[in-house]
Amino acid sequence: MKVNGVPVTPPDPDARLLDYLRDDLGLIGAKEGCGMGECGSCTVLMDGVPVCSCLVLVCQAEDADVTTVEGLRRTALQEAFVTGQAVQCGFCIAGMVVSASALLAEHPDPTDEQIRAGLEGNLCRCTGYGAIVRAVREAAR
Amino acid sequence: MSPHPRTAAEVDRLDPARALLAGGTDLLVRRRAGHQGGPLADVSRLRDAPAPVRRLSDGSIWLSALAPLSVIDRELGGKLPGLRAAIACFASGQIRNRATLGGNLANASPAADGVPPLVVAGAVLRLRGPAGRREIPVTEFATGPGRTRLAPGEWIENIDVPPQPAHAGFRKIAGRRALAISIVSLAWTWDRGPGGALTGVRLAAGAVAPVVVRCPGAEAALEGRAPTPDVVAAAVAALGHDISPISDLRASAGYRRAALAGALTEALTPALTEAPARRNT
Ligand SMILES: Cc1cc2nc3c(=O)[nH]c(=O)nc-3n(C[C@H](O)[C@H](O)[C@H](O)COP(=O)(O)OP(=O)(O)OC[C@H]3O[C@@H](n4cnc5c(N)ncnc54)[C@H](O)[C@@H]3O)c2cc1C
Ligand code: FES
Ligand code: FES
Repeated sequence: MKVNGVPVTPPDPDARLLDYLRDDLGLIGAKEGCGMGECGSCTVLMDGVPVCSCLVLVCQAEDADVTTVEGLRRTALQEAFVTGQAVQCGFCIAGMVVSASALLAEHPDPTDEQIRAGLEGNLCRCTGYGAIVRAVREAAR
Repeated sequence: MSPHPRTAAEVDRLDPARALLAGGTDLLVRRRAGHQGGPLADVSRLRDAPAPVRRLSDGSIWLSALAPLSVIDRELGGKLPGLRAAIACFASGQIRNRATLGGNLANASPAADGVPPLVVAGAVLRLRGPAGRREIPVTEFATGPGRTRLAPGEWIENIDVPPQPAHAGFRKIAGRRALAISIVSLAWTWDRGPGGALTGVRLAAGAVAPVVVRCPGAEAALEGRAPTPDVVAAAVAALGHDISPISDLRASAGYRRAALAGALTEALTPALTEAPARRNT
């Protein structure tokens, strides 16, 4: 497995990918909101596509390229979240940014509809989503 | 845990006590809740997994039971629009990147969104296991919520979909657009014959009976007829006898009946507006 480009050897193949990333590697961007695929705060990229790391076991990602929010190189996107005040408590944001980065890789100039669809698996209890959608649109410019 | 299988033959030889782990989007949720704590065997990375979508020369399509829904969707292109419509409203992008049709079928929820389109398509499941291979029509596979005809150690490798009629679709009614379990769902296929008559009508409904069900009464009310408002009304009335919904935390039985009637009416509406125009010109 590679995490953010670095080869790693996880000790426990039966651990959840989320726990390995947070507890063993100290990559605490991905968060556990629900632990059952509903909230998206644990979203990471596995071979380029967003997945819920709470529902992937380490053994399933053995040959995969895993990218966490810490490994994203899309600073324009992260800056748009900050300058657009799209962050309140911040709990959902790592997952939002990871999903948004996959969305922009697929649709460099997304419509609002595409942005909302791209973030459908990420829940936010604070912002009401408006500022988040605007930040992604801004980053696409 | 002993090493995970890397070939289909290794899956056949597994201890049947090990639960197959595909996308994990049902199984790992259940485990977190303290259920199904036994040993697992990951089947998401078989070296000889079938191609996600294989088009055969006779027009039929083989779908891999092990491929993520998002990959099936992409590789289908314009084919199987009913199944693609079901995938489009399935969970969320993150879940579709992991969840499989094999898991959706084996989980045997009456609300499984992947199943109604396969039922109307007349799909056949290709199973294999310690006793060899066999085929079973998808309509005979689930026997109740969470129960199937899989023998111990048996698993689904492919889903064989025969050539399809021209029209197919899927409608899901749920609490919200993403990440919601179907309150009811309806899949349909049909062709249009001479004079706009509906032929080869097949309907299947989710979350209105212990398993996904075909709707033979409503199908018979439509078969061979051009869809007029009266024909649609007769089909909707017949649909009420095809289903046995229950009330649960998501909706009442009465809501389910009304919602499914609405879904069928909506599904037929494009056909309805088409037919008279064709006759008059
Ligand atoms: C947040 C969330 C949202 C969801 N939304 C929807 C939705 O909108 N619609 C819907 O229908 N479902 C939904 N689900 C349920 C789930 O995603 C689907 O049922 C999915 O298709 C299961 O596939 P899987 O590969 O993840 O199965 P797994 O969890 O890996 O396995 C499920 C069961 O099937 C068995 N199994 C898996 N593959 C095979 C095989 N090839 N042969 C035999 N047995 C097998 C496993 O042993 C296990 O018992 C949702 C789940 C979550 C967590
Ligand atoms: S913690 Fe994984 S989806 Fe909520
Ligand atoms: S900013 Fe608080 S959950 Fe999204």
